[in-house]
Amino acid sequence: MQKHFKKIRLVLALVFFAAFLVSFADFRGNMPSRWHSAILYLQFVPSVIKFFTPLAVLSLGFIVVLLLTLLAGRVYCSTICPLGVLQDFFIHIRLKWMPKKGLRFKQAHRVLRYSVLVLALISLLFTGVLVFNLLDPYALFGRMAANLYQPALGWTNNIIAKLIPASTLHAVKINTLHLASVSFAGGSLALLIYLSMAYERLYCNSICPVGTFLGLLSKISLFKLKINPSSCTQCGKCQSVCKSNCINIKNMHIDESRCVNCFNCIPICSENSITYKKSAIGLAKKPVTSSDGGRRLFLATTTAFLAAKALPVFAVNENKSEEEHEDKICFFSRGPIAPPGAIGIDHLKSSCVACHLCIAVCPTKVLQPSFLEYGFTGMNLPKMDFAVNYCNYECRKCGEVCPTGAIVKLEKEQKKLTQVGKVVLRMNKCIVETEATACGSCSEHCPTQAVKMVPYYNGLPAPEIDPSICIGCGACEYACPVTDPHPAIFVAANTLHVLAEKPKQEALETVVEEEFPF
Amino acid sequence: MKRRDFIRTSVGASLASGALIGTGALNEAFGSPANLQNSYDLVAIKGGEPDTMFMMAIAELGCMGRFVKKGQTVVVKPNIGWDAPPERAANTNPKLVGKIVEQCVKAGAKSVTVFDNTCDEWTRCYRNSGIEKAVKDAGGLVVSGNDQSKYRKISLPKGKSLKTAEVHELIIQSDVFINVPVLKNHGGATMSLAMKNLMGVVWDRGFWHKNDLHQCIADFATYRKPDLNVIDGYNVMKRNGPRGVSVQDVVNMKYQILSADMVAADAAAVKVFGLEISDVAHIGLAEQLMVGTSKLDTLSIKRISI
Ligand code: SF4
Ligand code: SF4
Ligand code: SF4
Repeated sequence: MQKHFKKIRLVLALVFFAAFLVSFADFRGNMPSRWHSAILYLQFVPSVIKFFTPLAVLSLGFIVVLLLTLLAGRVYCSTICPLGVLQDFFIHIRLKWMPKKGLRFKQAHRVLRYSVLVLALISLLFTGVLVFNLLDPYALFGRMAANLYQPALGWTNNIIAKLIPASTLHAVKINTLHLASVSFAGGSLALLIYLSMAYERLYCNSICPVGTFLGLLSKISLFKLKINPSSCTQCGKCQSVCKSNCINIKNMHIDESRCVNCFNCIPICSENSITYKKSAIGLAKKPVTSSDGGRRLFLATTTAFLAAKALPVFAVNENKSEEEHEDKICFFSRGPIAPPGAIGIDHLKSSCVACHLCIAVCPTKVLQPSFLEYGFTGMNLPKMDFAVNYCNYECRKCGEVCPTGAIVKLEKEQKKLTQVGKVVLRMNKCIVETEATACGSCSEHCPTQAVKMVPYYNGLPAPEIDPSICIGCGACEYACPVTDPHPAIFVAANTLHVLAEKPKQEALETVVEEEFPF
Repeated sequence: MKRRDFIRTSVGASLASGALIGTGALNEAFGSPANLQNSYDLVAIKGGEPDTMFMMAIAELGCMGRFVKKGQTVVVKPNIGWDAPPERAANTNPKLVGKIVEQCVKAGAKSVTVFDNTCDEWTRCYRNSGIEKAVKDAGGLVVSGNDQSKYRKISLPKGKSLKTAEVHELIIQSDVFINVPVLKNHGGATMSLAMKNLMGVVWDRGFWHKNDLHQCIADFATYRKPDLNVIDGYNVMKRNGPRGVSVQDVVNMKYQILSADMVAADAAAVKVFGLEISDVAHIGLAEQLMVGTSKLDTLSIKRISI
C-alpha cells in the first residue's frame, strides 16, 4: 500500500494545481466565487490573515493544515502548495534532462530558515504583511499566474481566434502588462526555476516561512517516514530521489522538518526499508540539535505575530479623520484608489499579500497591480486604474474571491453605497465649456447620477456633481474624452472608505397620453 | 421617394443573394404592387406587450418576409450597453429582440446575429439584460462587440464633423440590418433613439464626444441606413439616462415605432417621450444631410392602439 503513496500524492497535487490554473484563468470572473474560495481554502498564510480580519472569523483552513501537519507531516508542501508543486515540476525536468546528476543529502540551513521566519513575524509590527507579500508561496505563485500565465493564455486564445476564424473563440482583451509587476513575477519565476533546478527544494526549506513553520510542527507529527536500520543496506537510492535533500544515509536518518512527504523514497527502496509509520506522540527521540533553539525563538515570536496582526485592524477602526474634499485636490496627487471592500488603505496594507487573484478575476480589469503608489509597504497591492476601465456597479467579485480578507465581501446594497473616492470636476477642461458642444459622457456612465447634466447655456447641458452620493467607481473619469493631460472629471481617493448617501429618487408621474402625439 | 429608396435596396439585396429566384417566394415576399402602395412609412403602436405589438406592427409593413429574404444574413443591433436587468429599461426589451430574431429566422434568414459595443463589461451586459438568452432561444447568435479586430475603417463623404469611423464588419457585410434601440432619456444627447443607437456599431466613440456629439450622430447616419428601425418604447427611462439609477426612472408606456426612416422614427419617438423634435439637435442635423424626414405630417403613418 505504501508503495502507492507517491502516486496518490501526485494525483492530488495535480488536481490542486489544475484547480489553481483554472482559478487564475477566470479572467472575466465568470466562475462562481465559492469555487475560488474552496480552491484557496487551505492556503495557509491567506487563511491565517483572514482569520484576523473583521467579518471573516470563520476562516479555519489554516487549522485544518495545522492538524494535517500534526498528523501526517508536511503533506501541504507537496500537494496543496501551488509553488511546491511547481518546483517539483522543474525538479522533474532537471532530473529527466540530467539523469546522472541525482540528488543527495545536504545540511539544513538552520540559521537562515529560522531567521527568515522570525524576521517575517517581527516585521509584521513595522511593515504590515510586506514580508509575507514577498515570501509567501501562494502570493508568489498568484503573481506569476496573474501576470504571466493569464496573459499568455489570452494571447494563445487570440492567435487561435485569428488563425481559425470559424472557431468559437473570439479575441479577448488582455490585461495591460505592467513593467513592475511583470518583471517582479518574471524575476521570481526565473529565480524559482534556477533554485529548484540547482538546489531542489531549497526555497521551501530555508526561505519559505510556511515551510519552516510546518517543518517545526512536523517534528512532532504522528506519522513520519523512518528508515529501518536493520534492513537498510545504505545503497543510497532513496537519497538520490529526495527533493528535500533530507535523507542522511550515513546515519540512516530522515530530517522530518525538511521532509515534504513526497513519498518518492518508499517505492525506490528495494529492501522496503522506508516506511511511513506512527511514532510516539511528542518530540522525536533523535538527539536535540540547534533547531530546538529555533523552536523556542519561534514560540516567542508567535505572540508578536498575533499582536501585530491584530494591530492594523484596530488602526482602521480608529478612523483617521476623513480628508476634506477640496477644490485643491489635483489629478496627480489624488492618491491610489483601493477597491470597494478594502475598507481603507490601512486595512488593505495590513492584510493583502498581493496574490493578484482579484486582479486576475476582475471582469472589467479596472483592478491593476500597483507599484509603489501605496508606498513601499504596500508594494504590488491592487489599485483601481480608471484609465483602463471602471468598477462595475453590480459587481462584487474581488471581495468574493480574496482569500486574505484584504477585500471583504460586501452585501449587494452595501457595495452600491461604498465610497472609495469622490468625484472632482474641472469645468475649465470640460468640452461643454471649451468647445461649446454637447458631451455628457461622464453622466451617461454614472450609475448614481452623482454627475448629472443640467442646462448650461443655449440649451447646452453641462455636468454638475454631487460628491455626497458619488461612490468613486470611476465611470465618469474613464468615459471623459478629455486628455490634456488628464480627464476633466476624476476621482480622488478616500483613504478610508465610507458610505455614500443614497441617490435621492422622487417618484415619476406616470401619465401616458391617450392619443398619439403626432 | 424615401419609400422607393428602401424598396430598391431590398430588391438589390435579394437579387444579390440569388436565393429567391424560382422559389415562388417573390410574390409572397413583396406582396402585389397594390399592397405596396398601401404600405406605410411609419407604424406606431401602443398598449400591448413588446412581442405582440411587434407582430401587429410588422404585419402592417408587409411582414418580416418583406425585409428578410431566404438565405440572407441579418444583423440585429439592440441597445445592450449596460449591466442592468430588463425592468430598468437601460437596454432594449429582451422579449422584443427575441421576437424579431425569431421572425427573421422564420423568414428564412441564413443567420441572425446580434451584438452591441457595450459600455459596461460586455458578457455581463449580454447576460443580465436577458438579451443573450432571448436571442439564443429564438435561434439567433450573439457575438462580442468588444473585439477591435472585427472593426473596419469606413469613410463618410457626407459627414461634416465625422469623416471616418471604425465600423463592425457585421454592419458592413450583412444583407439586412435591423436597428432596435430603446427609447430613453440621455444626459448628453438629450434622447437616445435610432440614430444614437448606431454609436454601438462603431469602435472609437471618444472622438464623437470630443467633436460635436450631435453632428457626429447625424454624420454617421449617412453611412448605412438600417433596413428597418424598431424603437422600443415599452418601458421608457424618463430621466437619469442612458444608464438610469433605479426602476423609479422608468415609466411603462407600452409604445413601439417601426420605420425604415431613422429620422422619422426618431421624430415620432421624441413626441411620444413628450419633447419637441427641435429639442434633439441631431434629428434636424440628420435631416439636413438628407438622411430622412422629420416632417411627420408628410408621411403615411399607421397608428394602432391595443
Ligand atoms: S486583495 Fe487581491 S491581491 Fe490582495 S490578497 Fe486579496 S485577492 Fe490577493
Ligand atoms: S467590484 Fe469593481 S474592482 Fe472589484 S472585481 Fe468587480 S469591477 Fe473589479
Ligand atoms: S460621479 Fe463618477 S465616480 Fe462618482 S459614482 Fe458617478 S461615475 Fe462613479
